[in-house]
Amino acid sequence: MKCLNLAGLIIFLGIVVSQSLAVAAESTDVEIPQSPEAVRRGAEVITNVCMACHSLKYIKYGGLAQLGFSAKELDTLRSGKSLKEPLVSDMSPDMLKEGFGVVPPDLSLMAHAREGGPAYIYEILTGFYHKPDGSVDNHAFPGIKMPDVLNFSDAESPAQRGPLEEQAKDAAAFLNWAADPHAAERHHLGYYVLAYLLVLTILLYLSKRKVWARLD
Amino acid sequence: MTNRVIAWIDQRFPLTAFVKHELTEYPTPRNLSYWWNFGFLAGFVLVLQIVSGIFLAMHYKPDIHLAFDSVQYIMREVNYGWLLRYFHAIGASAFFIVIYIHMARTLYYGSYRAPRELLWWSGQILLLLLMATAFMGYLLPWGQMSYWGAQVITSLFRATPWFGNDLVLWLRGDFTVSDATLNRFFALHYLVPFIIFGMVVIHLVALHAVRSSNPSGINLADKDNIPFHPYFTSKDFYGLGVFLIVLCGFVFFKPDFFLEAINNVPANPMQTPAHIVPEWYFLPFYAILRAIPDTLGGVVAMVMSIMIFAAMPYLDRSKLPGGARFRPLYRLAFYVFIADVAVLSYVGAHPPSGVLVDVGRVATFVYFATFLLLPPVSILEERWLRARGLPTGLETLVAGEGDKVGAGK
Amino acid sequence: MSEQDKVDPERRDFLITSTTILGVAGAAGACWPLISSMNPTPSVKSEAVTEVDLQGVAPGAVHTVPWRGEPVFIFHRTQAEIAAMEASKGGKDPQSDEARVKNPDWLVVIGICTHLGCVPNKTAKGWLCPCHGSVYDNSGRIISGPAPRNLDVPPYHFAADDKIIIG
Repeated sequence: MKCLNLAGLIIFLGIVVSQSLAVAAESTDVEIPQSPEAVRRGAEVITNVCMACHSLKYIKYGGLAQLGFSAKELDTLRSGKSLKEPLVSDMSPDMLKEGFGVVPPDLSLMAHAREGGPAYIYEILTGFYHKPDGSVDNHAFPGIKMPDVLNFSDAESPAQRGPLEEQAKDAAAFLNWAADPHAAERHHLGYYVLAYLLVLTILLYLSKRKVWARLD
Repeated sequence: MTNRVIAWIDQRFPLTAFVKHELTEYPTPRNLSYWWNFGFLAGFVLVLQIVSGIFLAMHYKPDIHLAFDSVQYIMREVNYGWLLRYFHAIGASAFFIVIYIHMARTLYYGSYRAPRELLWWSGQILLLLLMATAFMGYLLPWGQMSYWGAQVITSLFRATPWFGNDLVLWLRGDFTVSDATLNRFFALHYLVPFIIFGMVVIHLVALHAVRSSNPSGINLADKDNIPFHPYFTSKDFYGLGVFLIVLCGFVFFKPDFFLEAINNVPANPMQTPAHIVPEWYFLPFYAILRAIPDTLGGVVAMVMSIMIFAAMPYLDRSKLPGGARFRPLYRLAFYVFIADVAVLSYVGAHPPSGVLVDVGRVATFVYFATFLLLPPVSILEERWLRARGLPTGLETLVAGEGDKVGAGK
Repeated sequence: MSEQDKVDPERRDFLITSTTILGVAGAAGACWPLISSMNPTPSVKSEAVTEVDLQGVAPGAVHTVPWRGEPVFIFHRTQAEIAAMEASKGGKDPQSDEARVKNPDWLVVIGICTHLGCVPNKTAKGWLCPCHGSVYDNSGRIISGPAPRNLDVPPYHFAADDKIIIG
């Protein structure tokens, strides 16, 4: 009869593991870099290109300092804005709504707000193409109102697409950081916490065994 | 020195006597398996949620214009705010995992049977309070899923006959889920866990009156009980260690596992997300709700699917002790039920289209069937088992007596 | 079993004792994030520093700015006022004027009466607190009335001749 319980447990674990693997597999179609350099390059892409229309209201210019920028580099990025100010587009929401029909969404959480995560950002930026009638559309988001900001639809050869793809990856890397600035700290602390818990649990197990050995 | 302080207290308050009687020397069946760890784990998660919740409440703002921003402030600015938020959000899922396993243990081993009916029903009340707390808590971040989940579920009350519309208006405090709703959900979300805490005390009092059941389902002799401390304290702490490893694994390395991506988008009353999905722990009930074509019928079915657990002590009419241990048909029904809940969860997670609609309806039927067929099945099963001969020990134990599990204090 | 007790009591206690200590240490450590979460956040701490432009504050005038939720009086003193203050040591809480300023032309004090916290009003000779009548001189020193201390001087420095940073 214990076999039935064991079988049930194995099936349950099987479901958990297969679903976890499925979830993990979905998000590794493209490698979004995690290095600090990529995130810094991405910050430049966002501030130079994307912030024409998009804001990141939960990130302050001062907050970019923790990415490792020097004071000078930070000055270039914020071009005159105070460190206490959030990353807000210079165009007002009304102007943007008039121009595009919708207000471009805030990007602070975008890397986590769509299925596919930061890879999806990459797919959008590199998804622009020319339709037969000459107009531009996007593979990842058909009918998107955002223009082809990297001019990806005009890149014909791998040599032309390469640098743009790198830019797109860097942008995704930065947005991934922006959505979760404490990720590095969380992982760092996590290693210590789990190591401690592992040691403690082993000791707890040994203590339990010792205590129960007192029973005949 | 401490002994003198304790002696002073003992003359005025039954401290030592209480601790000895209810905790350290409390007789517990020696054969309890690890499935009995989950009550303690549930208590631990309750404390975790209350503590993390209180510290979150120091920064959260229950105003529709400020709520989403305040959560971002917690995540980005408050020292270890991200840690508090992730423990609280993942702790909610952990709470349900622990409770569902705790319930499954009770169903499998028949621990709901006489004289433990009040223990089971106090647990039922705890489940309802937990569901209410979780539902209200999910609105607080004011994301797209928060808003639309609350909008859909509060709309259900419209199905109530005669005063459905007034009821919904009263619940929400407004025509739609709005600032009034958010504020009151916050007030109640803060309050109900303390009601849960009180109910847990009642649950433990009920437990101590009848003592724990055990995997054999048979009342053990007094000599087979061992003191709770140090045996089950050491076992509970070990189980806690394993639980914390899994919990912290998620909190530190995969915190988004239980969180819907779309909830990172602030609530927009003008635009509904493509798929509205409740948190995973409500999925089976959500599937049952949608399985019935009529609105009121769906609501009634959903409510009954939760309330029917209360009837278990009366649905199981077998006089054989315990639950699944010695009873193959009961065990089969149990596994069918678990598999059915898994199917219902899958159905609840996806839009109701194509074959899933029929699957959902069949699964709903099976859900209720496993309960409602239990009376005849349990009687027939008992006759069959007695006819083929019970194991000798069991035979003596059940001869004529039925299931008199008195608590030998 | 009693044999084992005699042989192993030390070892068993050591295991359980060290496990308990490790567990309690972890529980104590787990309290740190809770306590830390109550400390001021970086946003709050950044608000604790205020820049003030001194241009446009005429001699004899007082410019009041909020700092950490309290008013700070920035008083551009005339030569006569400075001379009078340097000649005196104040009242109940003797202190030289020199010790209270970085640049004698500018007095920077927190505008909260040291009695029970009201905001004093400017008079020709200093300040008068409307609540219980404490009188301060033009160096913010308590002269008469129930207040025990001179008006507090916040931490500040001159970033330039016409700009100070408080905090």
